[in-house]
This record gives sequence, structure tokens and C-alpha cells, in this order.
Amino acid sequence: MPRRRLLLLVVPGLTLCLAAFFFFFQNRGEAPRELKDISVPPETASAAGEDETRTVVLYFLSDQDGLLHPEQRTIPAGPAVEWEARRLIEELIKGSRTGLISPLPPESELRQVFMIRGGTAVVDFSKEFADRHPSGSTAEMTTIYCLVNSLTRNFSAIKQVFFLVNGNERETLNGHISLAKPFLPLRSLIAE
Amino acid sequence: MAKRTRFLTVLLLAGLILSPLPGQQTVTVRVQVRDYADFTRLTLESSSRLDTRLTRTGGILEIHVDSPDSLRLRTAPVSSRLIRSVAWGRSDGRHVLSVVLRSSDFTYNAFTASRPFQLMVDFKEGEAAAPPPVRKEGAAPKSAAQPAVRPPSGVRTIVIDPGHGGIEPGAKGRFGTLEKDVTLPIALKLKAVIEKNLSFRVVMTRDKDMAVSLESRAALANNNDAMLFISIHANGSYKQSSHGSETFFLSLNASDEDVRRLAYFENTQAELEGHIAAQEEEQDVLRMILWDMAQSAYIRQSSRLAELIQAELNALLGTANRGIKQAPFKVLAEVACPAVLVEAAFLSNPDEERRLLNEEFQNNVALAIYQGLVNYIRLYPPEGGR
Ligand SMILES: [Zn+2]
Repeated sequence: MPRRRLLLLVVPGLTLCLAAFFFFFQNRGEAPRELKDISVPPETASAAGEDETRTVVLYFLSDQDGLLHPEQRTIPAGPAVEWEARRLIEELIKGSRTGLISPLPPESELRQVFMIRGGTAVVDFSKEFADRHPSGSTAEMTTIYCLVNSLTRNFSAIKQVFFLVNGNERETLNGHISLAKPFLPLRSLIAE
Repeated sequence: MAKRTRFLTVLLLAGLILSPLPGQQTVTVRVQVRDYADFTRLTLESSSRLDTRLTRTGGILEIHVDSPDSLRLRTAPVSSRLIRSVAWGRSDGRHVLSVVLRSSDFTYNAFTASRPFQLMVDFKEGEAAAPPPVRKEGAAPKSAAQPAVRPPSGVRTIVIDPGHGGIEPGAKGRFGTLEKDVTLPIALKLKAVIEKNLSFRVVMTRDKDMAVSLESRAALANNNDAMLFISIHANGSYKQSSHGSETFFLSLNASDEDVRRLAYFENTQAELEGHIAAQEEEQDVLRMILWDMAQSAYIRQSSRLAELIQAELNALLGTANRGIKQAPFKVLAEVACPAVLVEAAFLSNPDEERRLLNEEFQNNVALAIYQGLVNYIRLYPPEGGR
């Protein structure tokens, strides 16, 4: 009995460590670091960046064909990809200016964006991102790929996107699509 | 638009010319090619039965098509990993579809389904001219045409999974219908029709309004050595006019690391067993890692099950056909048998919300899934392989 109980504690612990190891370091033999240790880039733009801007393409959902359509925005140019990615996601939350649909709950707040190895951008939303999501397979796919396609389209350093909710890994966005692995861009959802 | 008018005129003329001929009608034959994770599928679809015969010469597979009807041939543009081109021609008064592969190093596997008639040909790279795979001791279930687990004698189990439940409502309709409240009656109707007509045991992941974790839904299938897993859902979209039915199977969204992980475990089965014997704790960890990729060995069968169910949904429901799709569904990932997720219709669409509440519509969804299952079981009988 006590042996079983010990197993119940040890097994999930070991699984987590191993999963983290596989996720971040594959088989390259580096020492595992915890997620917390990864430095978050500064949130303020450099003073020089004040009037420099950059044009980006955002993807929003069209009510006509159910596909993601591009819309241009000018964002302040920033010191690092994380900083600009943050501005881009904030624009996605604010919504379209041409009548397209933003498939993000408007209450969503972006907590942080940071890069980890392998060109993976980790995007950490407040819990409203998932809890206020309307649920449904198609809606969840649209939300995820609006973000993934927008980020990978504008930042060559971003190859794939991994989502956190309130700083933690989450099983699904809201009942359907698994958030356990990073997402590569999916062009079939884009109208072009 | 001009093209459309011309097309309609041609249709009309064809109809006028052909209508007096008894027994001869014009049948449209559609061909499309789609790439999946580890194979490429060519589907030839027609509203009436066709006689087909396949011959292979080097890197070309010819599909000879025979029909009493006159055929209108349609081919979707091909862009595929394995198939370079497809083209229609004629030989001995028969229509012949020439499928040109990028390499002559390929294997294929053909099967048909009815209503609508479909010939599906799955192509795989390599293994050319190899004799039918011999199942070696300790061989990985990569050639997973047959389930890796030996079916025990006796009754096999089908697991039906009504989506959501309890505090987890799923998608919501405009009139307040909750997804969890339409998935359950459809699932119960499906259970009833299977139990009435087939000798399978049906296990439900829930049979009332209660919360069940996604992990335990998959575990229930695995613990019961299920033969098939069918998850039933109603869709939700940000676009209110989205409508129609679709059937999903798992996409691995495989990053390189996953592929490597999987390859590792497939190639070192014996090694793995050594580890398992060695350390109890490690055994459980390794098993869990395998479980989270469990579905990957069944993707191909799952896609067939999805195709067969989707064909019946189209025939029975009169909803728009959104086809079969792949997506990384959590509930499918850990299931160690062929598994699909059916989105009956859109709860976010007011018209379809009404239909989803209608008992007859629910019955038809259950019947369509049942018919797809029957067709699948004909292709893959549970005992003795095929
Ligand atoms: Zn659902």
C-alpha cells in the first residue's frame, strides 16, 4: 500500500521532469533548465525606438469564407522579436479595422512572450484567453492559427508557437484542441 | 461567371441529349489526392458503382474504370509528396486514370466504400516489391494494418464518447443549447443501434451529465482493449454562418522531436522491455510517454474510419460536407485504437442548433455513424485480421 502511494507521487514527478527534458532539450545532452529561469526581455522600448515603426500583417477571420485574411498594421519597432511580437498580439486582441473577426476573447491579456530554443515563441495569456473562449473545435483552431500564422508570417525567428495560460501549461484551449505541443503554421487556413 | 453559364448550358444540353436513352445516365467521377502524415491517398468518387482494376508498371499505377454509364471526369489539382500527376485517358474503350508517382519505389493498398462509391488508394514510399510484410517477433507496429494488440477471443468493445459534460459545457448555441446536452442523446442512440444490430460490447465514457477528464476517456478505451473509439461533438465557430458536418482524426502536429521519440521507441522495443523489467518506476514513466503518442500507430485506420463515417453523414444528413480533417485533439491523442471525432453540425449556427435539438436529426447522425462503422468493420473484421 505505502509503496503504491509513493509510486503515485514519484511517477507524475518523474514524468514531468522527463517531459520537460524532451520538450526543451531533445537529445542534445544539455542540462535541463526550468521554465522560470528563462529571462524575459525588457518590456520597454529603447529610447531610440520611439519613432521607428514597422509594418506587419495580421490575420483575422472572414465571415465570408471562414478563412484568415491579412490586414496591415504599423507597430513601433522594438529592440527584440519578443517586444514586437507582443505589440502584434495586442493588435490582434484589439481587433480588425476592416470588419474581419478577431478570434480572441477581448478580455484576454497577454502576460508575456519569450523565445526558447528551436525558434519556439512561448506566448503566455491570462486565464480569460481560455476561460472566455466560446469553445468548439473550429473556433479553437481559428484562434490558435490566427496567432500562429500571424507570428510566423512576420518574424522569421519564430518557427512555432507554444501557449501558456496564466503561466501554466494547459491541456486544451477550451475542451478540444491540445495545447501540449508547439504549433507550426498552417497555411490551409489562410485565404490568399 | 461566363464559364459558369457555359457549364450550365453544357449540362442542360447533355441532359437533353442523354435523357431519351434508357439506362444511360451521366455520372460524375471525382479524383483527389491528399497527403497524410505517413502516406498519400488518392480518392476516386462517383455517385454510382464503378468496376475498377489496378495495374502497375514501374512508377505508374493505372486505374481502369468500367461503367455502363457515361462518365464525366473531374480531377482536382494535384500537389503531393508522392504523386507527380494524374491524368485520364482511354484504352480498349475504358477510361484509364494514370497515376504517375515521383518515384517507382512505392507500395500501394486499395479499397472501396459504397454510398457514394469510393475507391481509395493509399501510397507509401519505399518498401518496393517487398512481399507482404511478415510479422517478426518484436517488430514495431509500424506496418499497423492490423492492430498491434491481439484480439482476445470473444466480444470486442466499441467506446462511444459523448463530448464534454458536467461543469464543462463545450460550445454554446445562440438559443442557449449546450454542446454537452446534444452529444449525449446522439451517443445513446448510437449505442442502442449498435447493440441492436451488432455483437459488440458498447462502453460509454459517460451516460449522464457528468464531467469526465479527457485522459480518463482515452484510458477507458485502452483499459477495455477497445476496437474503436468514437467521440461525438457539435461544432462551434466564430463565424455564425459556418455550417455542416465533418469528421476528424488526429494530427500529430509532429515536431521533429516527436518523430524522433517515436522512432526511438519503435526501433528499440526489445531494449524498452529490458528497461521495463529493470525498474518499476521507470516502467510507468516510459509507458506514459508511449501512451501520449498511442494514437500515432493508428492514424491510417482512423483516417479510413473517418472517411467511411463522413460518407454516410453526407448521405443521410443533408448538411454541407466539410470533409475529413486532421487536428490535434487531446481526447484522441492517447487512444490506442482507431479513433475519430465526429462534429455533427454547428451549434453556433442558429439553423443547425435547431436541427441538433431535433430527435430525428439526432437519430440520423447516430445511424450515419453506425453505417460508417459497419462499412469499416467489413474492411477490418475484428477477428483474424482482414
Ligand atoms: Zn466538443
